[in-house]
Amino acid sequence: MPKIRTQRTKRPPEGFEEIEPMLEEFAKKMRDVENEPHEGKRIVQSLWPVFRLHHQRSRYIYDLYYKRQAISKDVYDYCLKQGYADANLIAKWKKPGYEKLCCLRCIQPKDTNFGTTCICRVPRAKLEEDRVVECVHCGCRGCSSGD
Amino acid sequence: MPFNFTKFDPNKQGWEDAEFPIVCETCLGDNPYMRMTKETHGKECKICTRPFTVFRWMPGSGMRFKKTEICQTCAKMKNVCQTCVLDLEYGKCLPVQVRDAALDIKDSTPNLAINKQYQAQNMDGKFEAGQSMIDYGRADSAGRETLRKLARNAPYYRRNRAHICSFYLKGECTRGDECPYRHEVPDNELSNQNIKDRYQGNNDPVAAKLMTKGRGGSTNLTPPEDKNITTLFLTGVEEDVTEDDVRDYFYAFGEIKSVIMVHKSRCAFVNFASRSAAEAAADKASFDPVRIKDHLIRVAWGRPRPVGPKGETAKNKAAGTGTQAMGPPPPPGSEAAANIKYPSQDPTMQGAVQ
Repeated sequence: MPKIRTQRTKRPPEGFEEIEPMLEEFAKKMRDVENEPHEGKRIVQSLWPVFRLHHQRSRYIYDLYYKRQAISKDVYDYCLKQGYADANLIAKWKKPGYEKLCCLRCIQPKDTNFGTTCICRVPRAKLEEDRVVECVHCGCRGCSSGD
Repeated sequence: MPFNFTKFDPNKQGWEDAEFPIVCETCLGDNPYMRMTKETHGKECKICTRPFTVFRWMPGSGMRFKKTEICQTCAKMKNVCQTCVLDLEYGKCLPVQVRDAALDIKDSTPNLAINKQYQAQNMDGKFEAGQSMIDYGRADSAGRETLRKLARNAPYYRRNRAHICSFYLKGECTRGDECPYRHEVPDNELSNQNIKDRYQGNNDPVAAKLMTKGRGGSTNLTPPEDKNITTLFLTGVEEDVTEDDVRDYFYAFGEIKSVIMVHKSRCAFVNFASRSAAEAAADKASFDPVRIKDHLIRVAWGRPRPVGPKGETAKNKAAGTGTQAMGPPPPPGSEAAANIKYPSQDPTMQGAVQ
């Protein structure tokens, strides 16, 4: 069970204290979102903010390491290990075409009737309807790299 | 052991397992490249409550997903589509009640729940592929004619649209633009339909509407605004109905100025001397169906067009004689040019619609 600091756990590496306040904020927001009341929402809609925050937090760490190179490899690995970022999701972001992927559920073909991906993966140009799409898994409105 | 034999369970072996649904073309939609999911024993039939194979597909973009609602046995018993419970033979959109009334088929399906299940279970084995219980050949050909006229010509895809948003009706729809349900106000009379009633042919509002429409023209034969129209337009006038027959029928309402028969297009015009006579005739026609020489004649108000002698000859002969009667067109710039150059410009000559 990560994220619990005892006397036995190793100390976090050097640069971690700089990003720690931001991670603390994410944790607070996540707790708020988890405790929101469900009135007036669809059943799946209550989960959407959770997925959104998860994406945002992972994105923050991904940006710090890969784009801005602001943290060291040790700090990055520490974050992944402690569960502050999703390693599998970041692995997808490194692939062409999946740079803005919303969540891992939306590319899972086993979750759909006909073995396709979620509708949020369709580029808005191809959608041809301009109707607002909120995907049922994570509430995403379009995560293809072109949009 | 006894409770759990899933494969050998005698009850379960009788459950339906179909390969392809019995569905009408309108329900399938316009897209030829449609994908369909199949779920064996997905739901229970809405009529006989036995488990059956549920097929689900999208009948075109922007439509709701449709699925089979009644089992194949129930569908075959009445020869209807598994989703919309409308007749399969006659083009589109004929409710069971209308078809049974026209073909005079008595309803032999039981009403009690347990009897329904029993009959369905027994009938299951007896149907061969492609057979249905309704014998169309035996029925009266006049009945078949009426059904053909009542059925629609083009597929009616409007019924595949999404259902009405119930939150919107209460004013509470928070989904706004992305709401897949329709934000409209429903048409009240036709919206309380019940699948069991529609299947058995009782108390179906759509069928009632269709039958009043088919019976001898519209029930509200309202007099047109133009007070000068004294002409009734008759259709369904077969070959053996003569001018005298028509006169005999309509003289009772008032003096007839003229009667024009157009057997070629199965219609006739009755021109009354007075407006009140015409109205009386129209009223009578809306109450009782007009029958001349045992043919059902539809009555409607005529269009405001002077039926003079010129019009008479043009209508009675072929349209070609009208064009022959004209000389070469007058040179442009002369007065006559402003008037009628071609017969089609004069509405009375060739029967053009005003």
